[in-house]
Amino acid sequence: MIQKRYLPWLGALGVALFLPIIAGDSPYLMKVLIIMVIFIIYTHSWNLLTYSGQASLGHAAFFGIGGYASALLASKSGLSPFITIFAGAIFAAVAGAIVGAICVRLREWFLAMVTFGFSIIIGTLFLNQFTGIFGGVDGMPAQRFFSATLEHRYLYEYYFMLLLAIATTLLVHRIMHSRLGVAFAAIRENELEAKVLGVDTARYKLIAFLISTYIAGLAGALQTHSFAYITPEIFSVHNSFWPVIYAIAGGLGTLEGPILGTVFITLIWEGLKNLGLSFERFVIIGALLVVMVVLKPGGLSSVFDRWR
Amino acid sequence: MPELSIILQVLFWGIYAGCIYMLLATGLTLIFGVMKVVNFAHGEFLMLGCYATFWIVVLLGINPYLAILPSMLLLGLLGVAVERLAFRPILGTGKLNEIFVSLGLIYILQNGVAFLWGDDFRSMHSPYAASTIPLGGINLPLDYIILIAFTVLILVALHLFLKKTRLGRAMRATSQNRRAAQLMGINVERIDMLSFGLGVALAAAAGSLWAISGQLFNPYSGSLPAIKAFAIIILGGLGSIPGAIVGGLIYGIAENAGGYLFGNYWKDAISFLILIAVLVLRPHGLFGEGEE
Repeated sequence: MIQKRYLPWLGALGVALFLPIIAGDSPYLMKVLIIMVIFIIYTHSWNLLTYSGQASLGHAAFFGIGGYASALLASKSGLSPFITIFAGAIFAAVAGAIVGAICVRLREWFLAMVTFGFSIIIGTLFLNQFTGIFGGVDGMPAQRFFSATLEHRYLYEYYFMLLLAIATTLLVHRIMHSRLGVAFAAIRENELEAKVLGVDTARYKLIAFLISTYIAGLAGALQTHSFAYITPEIFSVHNSFWPVIYAIAGGLGTLEGPILGTVFITLIWEGLKNLGLSFERFVIIGALLVVMVVLKPGGLSSVFDRWR
Repeated sequence: MPELSIILQVLFWGIYAGCIYMLLATGLTLIFGVMKVVNFAHGEFLMLGCYATFWIVVLLGINPYLAILPSMLLLGLLGVAVERLAFRPILGTGKLNEIFVSLGLIYILQNGVAFLWGDDFRSMHSPYAASTIPLGGINLPLDYIILIAFTVLILVALHLFLKKTRLGRAMRATSQNRRAAQLMGINVERIDMLSFGLGVALAAAAGSLWAISGQLFNPYSGSLPAIKAFAIIILGGLGSIPGAIVGGLIYGIAENAGGYLFGNYWKDAISFLILIAVLVLRPHGLFGEGEE
């Protein structure tokens, strides 16, 4: 007998499995769907870090490092991108360990600043230094998951991303309901109290950083091989801010938040795009963010609470 | 050892940039002192200051320096509205919310301006753009010297306001101890609103002077200066106005020297390296003491 609380999840899974049917043969819709699923993974990573009370404003650094590392590994070693995405993400986690070690002592604003600053520094580095390896402003090509001539390749790609998104969601679920998750929540609610109760806060904050940046790197690698190229644009502030917006819209610190938020905002975003709006889209998203935080801090997830 | 004229040039340009940072950081630290809120969208008000001055000059055809005060007033009012609508409801609900609200404001203000007036770079012309004053082998643009003078004037006026007037005293009292100030009959919510408006007006002044001195600006020009202003107030100690002034000056000079030594595209990255170094080595700032 399936428990009632799993029903919405199964429903969502069913919708996700059948979405490509609606998208049909439209490459545009399939691309939107693929990016949406990648960003669900990415938003999960940001959300998990925030679950431990640490809000990063520079997650694009890890997203991008994962992408560059995987693209380089695939082109230099000839390994399949299906393998290098997992190896490339390790580089993101190493960077995450360095930043995390700096950040464990810092409070909210400072952490936000350091992560933001780190993404700017990394962006400058990839744009201006070692252009022989990273290709400077032009970036470099990345191997595709599936050959560009393969029929239904978007379909395969979508289901592959979906598989990873499901795995990520299950992983985050496991973490949130383990000792680790309890420690994260304790640190988020009151770091001093957690410390007094014997939680090694520095260690747990670092662990949160490691897991989060690994997943962010994985998501970056997925996008890179899906686009078949990577440029320093990947470090842009938008890539740092999207997961923030998605997670808040969906419900900060919840398991379903990143999924709800990413789907919801993507729908609005693409819808407005088709209406021919450009700058107005950002204004609307910004207004939505402010209104959400001020009036509905629990995000979309809290809207569904009453049916639980 | 570089020539004296180069050292002088780096120093002067550093002081010039430092003046902009000082005004911006003073506004930010004033708001932080009173409300204990960090407004990451502070730089957007600098950018709006550029546009306000630009449009006042274009529409009224007056001397740009006369447009500074109206720009400050206009944006001060906008600041009051922003405080009332966006920041007051979330005051005390956790620092993450402040970060998120400022993020939303950044999106709204940047793209609102881009929507209204496009995202191309603009510039203004000061009537004194061609005048220079020779000093020690280099020619100092007259506008830069006026800018430095204006900055000093504004900061002295701010100092007198905070020290000599009733309202200024109330602001300082709220900054020192919010609850005690409330018990003494100060309407702290009104002080919040006023100090936010004042802080925004200072950012607007920075933007006005930035634009008048001939710098290009577009809707995204405010982001990096805001981050730097944040670095400066950490450097100078959160909530400390003298710290923001000294920090701004040091920062402007360090950034220019760094740009000269390592190449200009490293300017911004260098600022963040300074910021991270300060945070790691002196989490309470160079002049700060103890927890907030």
